[in-house]
Amino acid sequence: MNKTSLYEEHLALNAKMVDFAGWQMPIQYANVKQEVQAVRNKVGIFDVSHMGEFYISGPEALQYIDSLVPNDIANAKTGKAIYSPLCRHDGTIIDDLIIYKTAEDKILVCVNGANIDKDYKWFQEHLGNFNCKLENQSDNTSLIAVQGPQAFSVLQKIDLGFKLTDMDYYAFQVESIQDFDIVVARTGYTGEDGFEIFGSHEYIKKIWSELIKHDAEPCGLAARDVLRLEVCFPLYGNELNDDVTPLDSALKWTVKMNKPHFIGKEALTNYEPKFQLIKLMLDKGIPRSGYPVENDQGQEIGSITSGTMSVSLSKGIAIARVDKKLYQSGQEVLVNIRGKKYTTQVLKKPFLTGGHK
Amino acid sequence: MSKIIEGLYYTEDHEWIQIDGDTATIGITDFAQSSLGDIVFVELPEEGETLEASNSFGVVESIKSVSDLYTPLTGEVVEKNNTIEDSPESLNEDAYASWLVKIKLSNKDEIKSLMDSKAYQNYCEANS
Repeated sequence: MNKTSLYEEHLALNAKMVDFAGWQMPIQYANVKQEVQAVRNKVGIFDVSHMGEFYISGPEALQYIDSLVPNDIANAKTGKAIYSPLCRHDGTIIDDLIIYKTAEDKILVCVNGANIDKDYKWFQEHLGNFNCKLENQSDNTSLIAVQGPQAFSVLQKIDLGFKLTDMDYYAFQVESIQDFDIVVARTGYTGEDGFEIFGSHEYIKKIWSELIKHDAEPCGLAARDVLRLEVCFPLYGNELNDDVTPLDSALKWTVKMNKPHFIGKEALTNYEPKFQLIKLMLDKGIPRSGYPVENDQGQEIGSITSGTMSVSLSKGIAIARVDKKLYQSGQEVLVNIRGKKYTTQVLKKPFLTGGHK
Repeated sequence: MSKIIEGLYYTEDHEWIQIDGDTATIGITDFAQSSLGDIVFVELPEEGETLEASNSFGVVESIKSVSDLYTPLTGEVVEKNNTIEDSPESLNEDAYASWLVKIKLSNKDEIKSLMDSKAYQNYCEANS
């Protein structure tokens, strides 16, 4: 079982640890509600060092990454991060990534912890003759997220070793500290303003304890899941998986058909989406992953991909994958919870809009 | 250390049972509420339903988990605690004051399978 560099810190904070994707991770510290509320109203910090980091460098780094993913990296500005799925030739999703364009010849790719090996193998297999180097730096890199309306102000209070820029959403800065490129990005998985900081284990341990001293609330994976679901960010393994394409999963905006080439383009060009993701809110009952979703005739039209009790709204919320042929917009949708049918409200917009820039 | 009350019976699923004549009152223990964390939803059987020993009779949900409630005793539900369904967080505040259902026992011999407070304390220590 893998342990992050902050493992001892989690134990000292009385975290409840769980096995997550082969890692010992904090699921919660004192209280999930308190953690969610801290992020919505103040500031919370998350250890997400289980995530993987690949570096691509060299003259053709950009052409290489651009050939791998549907979103447009080649034309993005340096210093910008871009979200993109990673697809197979048939269009199905291997993972979802955040790609940091550090320089014209240097790219950082952040991948899901559970998918590091699968993704790295795919990256290696498709390196071909591109004139660039691919490195898996996941074992050497720690990652924390600092999230909430007070994220910027609390980070200004601590000694990062450099001056933090008040950058735009999805922008980032790179600072070299003791030969390690520290990447600070205005990104996150909560919908709130905030930053994600990639650094060496030693550096991140120091920043984490500084943040704890400044009363940032340590938050576990449970709070993280509630926060991302409240703002409807997809999770690989739930909304996204090996059997669906971005066009089945509300990710059409990431698929740039005007690009000359990317793996999966041919398949996605003529693809008729089979599924659709819908957002459900319940007055009573808590929808959970796997629960069947039905129409008012009692016909099963799909199932819940993620569901929870929203801490911010005190209502059951869920994302469901439904069969496009069996679902028409505006139609009534029920969730079957242990044999009982619960009515839902189908939302067009996310349950909550965070305060991110 | 979680709270255990003398004079109640207990199960390995961390439920407490108070016996009063041929009526049993069932709830979850302090250990159970503390392991579950914030309890946000409780589903209980309706009055008049018959519960079979060792079968699930409802659920308790925290933000992240769904846990079945198991009855160790057979009997008919004579009363359910509607207050708990409306304010499930009271289970976190005082698990012993927040009973879930009362059942009319059909087989009082089943009580012999339950643990007393001392046995339950040993059980919790051995399993923590």
